[in-house]
Amino acid sequence: MIRLTGVELRRLTARRLTVIGVLAVLVITAFLLFALWRESQPLSAEEQRAAQTQFEQAHKNWVEHGKEDQARCEEDWRTQPEPKPAMEEMCNFREPTVDDFGKPRTVFAEVMPDMLLGSSYLLVFAAFLIGASFVGAEFSTGAIGNWLTFEPRRLRVYGSKVLAAAIGLAPVAAVVLAIVLLGAYLIVDQLGDTANTTGKVWGDLTATGGRAVLLTALGASIGGVVGSLLRHTAAAIGVVMAYLVLIEGVFAGFLNKAQPWLVKTNFDAFVRHDTKYYVNECSSSSDGGYLCNTIEKTLSFEHGAWYLGILAAVLIVVGGAVFYRRDVNS
Amino acid sequence: MPELAISTRGLRKTYRTRLGRKVVAVQGLDLDVPIGGVHGFLGPNGSGKTTSIRMLLGLIRADAGSMTVFGRPVPAQLPDVVGRVGAIVESPKFFPAFSGRKNLELLAEAIGAPRKRVGEVLEQTSLGERGKDRYKAYSLGMKQRLAIAATLLKEPDLLIFDEPTNGLDPAGIREIRETMRGLGDQGRTVLVSSHILAEVEQVADTVSIIGHGRLLASGTVAEVIGGSTAGTVKVAVDNHEAATRILTAAGMTVRADGNYLLVDGAEHPADVTRRLAQQELYVSELVPVRADLESVFLELTAGEGL
Repeated sequence: MIRLTGVELRRLTARRLTVIGVLAVLVITAFLLFALWRESQPLSAEEQRAAQTQFEQAHKNWVEHGKEDQARCEEDWRTQPEPKPAMEEMCNFREPTVDDFGKPRTVFAEVMPDMLLGSSYLLVFAAFLIGASFVGAEFSTGAIGNWLTFEPRRLRVYGSKVLAAAIGLAPVAAVVLAIVLLGAYLIVDQLGDTANTTGKVWGDLTATGGRAVLLTALGASIGGVVGSLLRHTAAAIGVVMAYLVLIEGVFAGFLNKAQPWLVKTNFDAFVRHDTKYYVNECSSSSDGGYLCNTIEKTLSFEHGAWYLGILAAVLIVVGGAVFYRRDVNS
Repeated sequence: MPELAISTRGLRKTYRTRLGRKVVAVQGLDLDVPIGGVHGFLGPNGSGKTTSIRMLLGLIRADAGSMTVFGRPVPAQLPDVVGRVGAIVESPKFFPAFSGRKNLELLAEAIGAPRKRVGEVLEQTSLGERGKDRYKAYSLGMKQRLAIAATLLKEPDLLIFDEPTNGLDPAGIREIRETMRGLGDQGRTVLVSSHILAEVEQVADTVSIIGHGRLLASGTVAEVIGGSTAGTVKVAVDNHEAATRILTAAGMTVRADGNYLLVDGAEHPADVTRRLAQQELYVSELVPVRADLESVFLELTAGEGL
């Protein structure tokens, strides 16, 4: 098994699609960092002047009418039928500050979780694609039949492919995420704010990156499993894209209470260590109306971990069972 | 019973078409391939040759029956004997974007063969200079040679070639034929499936003929040919009319064939000369007509609707 995995790893790294896929990920990563660099640029002197003018006008308005607006809002709130939002939420007329106007400074600890999550989407998608092609191409070219005449123990063959995909793509993810983290730090250190980047922040970001690496490895393996089940790279990608669009997109749009059971929500919960999602809760009001409120909910890291773990295990076992039993006719 | 390289008993495989119709590809095949030499596995297209080979190699599952390779039941103990078996099933299939050498290196590594063996088998199959070229740039003949090189990585005792000359030019066919014969002469067992009978007849020591997934005949080439002909002899004699009358009266069947007579039904060629000489007709030439594998094959498969 170790020898077979080594052979598969050599094949994976020698494939042109693997090299192209990794290069594409590096190019997109460079674009991400470029976007951050652009986003972190401070305002020009002219833009700063305009922001200052806007602030002064808003502050003046608040001084003159703030208390009056607050009182009117509280009055309106009292007359509203239940259910209704909290008064502090509805009638928040705090004093404006200069930071509310113009472009806020980029804070490393604030932008990185989203940046790492975005990078993990990219990495898992690329790993899935490479994994699906890695195994699917063997079926579409018929090379799997030849391979099995050399090693007929199918579960070993299957295991070595799934494992090689994971082992091969995990270091790529680690390197890419390290580039994102360090590149972003250097950019924000020059143009934004890294002052509050404590050891805990680094620890959290590293853990997020570690989980993204784990999911990339899993994505590559699942790509291999789906490639093996469908026996064609294009079919594997088509099925997954159809799932993402129809189930995670259209279906979830209609039934937002299903979000805890969607792959994306659980993915986010796992990578970010808890995630928020929103559901509409609607009820009839006392005056006969019908009111919908958007409620924020949290999906826990544990839920995400169990969900993704079980899903991956089921897919890998089903893929193995099919590979073990299926006739190889090509 | 001699030791066998391959033996199958009651082997059966049924497929379902896309419309759900059942198609029996192999029905109760009993096949014995002796150790050593070249064994021709003959049958028309769709007779179940490739399906049988795939079952032997564990690529597809048999519905019923048993198989052994070198006495080991397969597929259960296939991993124990697979190191002694090299096979090319239908057309060679390798990773198209890799070079021939890279493809072989991966296979060699998978079976723990030393890397220098790759160079040896490439030289052995005259691919040494083209080893670094991509597989997809190879001609059909080169692909076939690479497939043979792959089977030789294991230094196998049994080689299975499924339709190895399909699509090859005459030079390629000859090359493959000589390779198979050479391997057989080295004491290895070569099972070659084909529907091109003249080609197999030139290299095979023993043959099995199948039709509709069943064994129709088996044995040495001479036995199979001899078993199906009733001893036709070609006779040159001056008086065709008289000779025809005499031999027909003796229960033989006579047909004209240019300047010769073709005589069937003689127990022994000497009967023909004796009967004619008794009537003072003297034979100037007498040649036993040897049937070829093709005529035997056509005779055997005539009722198979193939």
